[in-house]
Amino acid sequence: MNKKLIFIAVSFLWIAVAVGLIISKQHIIRTGRTVLLETVPVDPRDFLRGDYVILRYKISTLDLQQIQSEKSYYRRGKRVYVKLEPRERFWEAAAVKTKIPVSDNGVYIKAKVKYSYNKKLELNYGIESYFVPEGEGKDIEKNMRGNKSSVEVEVLVDKSGNAIIKKVFAQ
Amino acid sequence: MILGIISSLLWWAVVIFIIVKLVSGGRRKHYSWLQRELSLWEEKNIINKEQGDAVLSLYKLKRVTARKKMDMVKVLTLIGVIFVGLGVIFFVGSNWQRIPSHARTTMLLAITIATLYAGYIFSYEKEGFVNLGKSLLLLASLFWGGTIALIGQIYNIPTSENWYIMLLWAFPIVPIAVLFKNNYVHILASILFVIWNFLYSSSNNIANYYYPIFIFLLMLPTAKNLISSRRINIIGLVSASLYCCFNKYEWLALLISAGLLACYLVQKEERVYLYTACLSFIFWDIAYFTVRQLQPNLYFLLPLGFMLYLTYKDNIEKNLVFCLAGLMIGINLALSSVSQMLNYPFNGLQFTIFQSLLGISIYSAGIVSRNRGYLFPVIYKIFGYLVTFICVYLLAFKALLGEWAGAVNNVYLFGSLILAGIIALVAVDIVRSGNFKNKSNRIELAALIVALIGSLILLLSPRTVLLNTITMNSVLVVFALSSIFLGVELKKPPIFTLGIVIFVLFIITRYIDVTWKLKEKSLFFIVGGLVILFLGTFLEKQRRKIIERMKSE
Repeated sequence: MNKKLIFIAVSFLWIAVAVGLIISKQHIIRTGRTVLLETVPVDPRDFLRGDYVILRYKISTLDLQQIQSEKSYYRRGKRVYVKLEPRERFWEAAAVKTKIPVSDNGVYIKAKVKYSYNKKLELNYGIESYFVPEGEGKDIEKNMRGNKSSVEVEVLVDKSGNAIIKKVFAQ
Repeated sequence: MILGIISSLLWWAVVIFIIVKLVSGGRRKHYSWLQRELSLWEEKNIINKEQGDAVLSLYKLKRVTARKKMDMVKVLTLIGVIFVGLGVIFFVGSNWQRIPSHARTTMLLAITIATLYAGYIFSYEKEGFVNLGKSLLLLASLFWGGTIALIGQIYNIPTSENWYIMLLWAFPIVPIAVLFKNNYVHILASILFVIWNFLYSSSNNIANYYYPIFIFLLMLPTAKNLISSRRINIIGLVSASLYCCFNKYEWLALLISAGLLACYLVQKEERVYLYTACLSFIFWDIAYFTVRQLQPNLYFLLPLGFMLYLTYKDNIEKNLVFCLAGLMIGINLALSSVSQMLNYPFNGLQFTIFQSLLGISIYSAGIVSRNRGYLFPVIYKIFGYLVTFICVYLLAFKALLGEWAGAVNNVYLFGSLILAGIIALVAVDIVRSGNFKNKSNRIELAALIVALIGSLILLLSPRTVLLNTITMNSVLVVFALSSIFLGVELKKPPIFTLGIVIFVLFIITRYIDVTWKLKEKSLFFIVGGLVILFLGTFLEKQRRKIIERMKSE
């Protein structure tokens, strides 16, 4: 096989993969609706790992007795969609579905079940890491300690439920 | 309980494997020396090529080509490349904020493509820079990882999705590894795939079937001449199979095992495929047990039987170790399933006696193989001896005997009785067939019968702790003495030394056993130390004398 051709093909492949990844994320930014999420304090030992901050949201743990849910138990690793609704300052979980209803125009955020127990659901939304410049994580960390966290996160959610962090506010 | 059984079985398999490997290790060292020296003798015209071939065929060895000497320039270029690559990745990791994120990505991607181009130019366009070209292609692959990591960082892709980053890093560098035949990149891609597999399974909590398919269909076939890369991929497959035991992925373990077996059947000279297939089938059996605890895995007999057939057909001595470990684990898991089905509790004492009887049975198989001239009698004997010795050693502790004697488990009880019956029949057959006449065979058979009787006493009277302790300690002494006598009789120093080691181990263990409870620990250590010093020196002197005498005779 012509080596030059291989070089050109590989270059194109690499550019295509990189651009594809950027486009998929930019799509969320372009089309996503902004929701403001409340965070909860995390164990400081796990909180700041190197150059990124671990975020935990109020909607990371759901009580299935208090919100609408199709099931009372979900298998670990299962993909679900959480319907978000604005309540006062923050957006909060209103329902858990296994698919986004076609007719519903509301905001649904995609999540993966971490574990499910006693009608409680622990979820991962893929927005749990926030990369910060070296040393700057300490400010956010300070605001997430104690009983209540004052860190707020602005998140963009597209129609398919994909989410991306827009901004983190540490007051 | 299941985890306990699994870990104890794994422990057994690993211990036995390591010990047998050690036993065969010395011989291999001599063989590789011979292989190297033969080339030199041929070169110096001391022997001709035909004579060299004759020597090699005598020891069933292959001709080896002289290893290429390490090129210093190559090593330095490679180290330099790895340093620069790591530097760029750390640079990305440190979140350099002064440049806008997209400019950073574009810059890094441009550097990556430029390095790829330089790699191509030095490898294929300019003559005399092949090593530099190869290293630059590796550097481009490392930069590519940095680019993907940077994009992941810009969009805050969480750590739970690192598998996805790993995949985007690994897949696009495969063409470099395969089409440019770059072994460094092949190794890098292989390592990344191993990491991807584990991250994928742990993040998504599902079995990763794509991994073995991809490795079997692309990475292994293209790593034909790349030993390091092949090894990494095989280790990756076996560890993926081991991971299945703890995550109930029995089908994935089966797929990996079958794949490795197929690889062996295609490439018979690569024996490592057979060893790893055997190991992987054992992991499959364990995974099957964790999924269907009440259902004994009778299907396991099929691959095990086939492996055993291949071991004999292709004359692969070492694989018998894996087969025997598989047999032991398979029997134990099946008995555990039946016990759970019939609601019998786990009984540590009966479990250990059963293992001991299995060990004696395997040893007897070795004697029968030797008497009838079948293959591999020594492997059976070493394996059986080790298993029995470990069990007897454990059963010689009074504290354990008292602790382990719990509610009766009839499955293990009957299993043990059946084994004891088989051993007795084999012993009768050995006596009747006239192989009992020479002294060494008599010593061997006597030790076997003593071990059998000791196990039976424990099995039938588990509550008489004192009697059982004395019995098992006596069996241990018989083991030591029989090895010493057998070593002298057969003029085999290793067997003789083994007897001495067992004897010393017995003395030290019993000393600790009896005196550890004493409050005065200083006395315990001083007396113990003195005993070890004097006894050790005395025994070592005697041992050397006898071995010298053996050699001079």
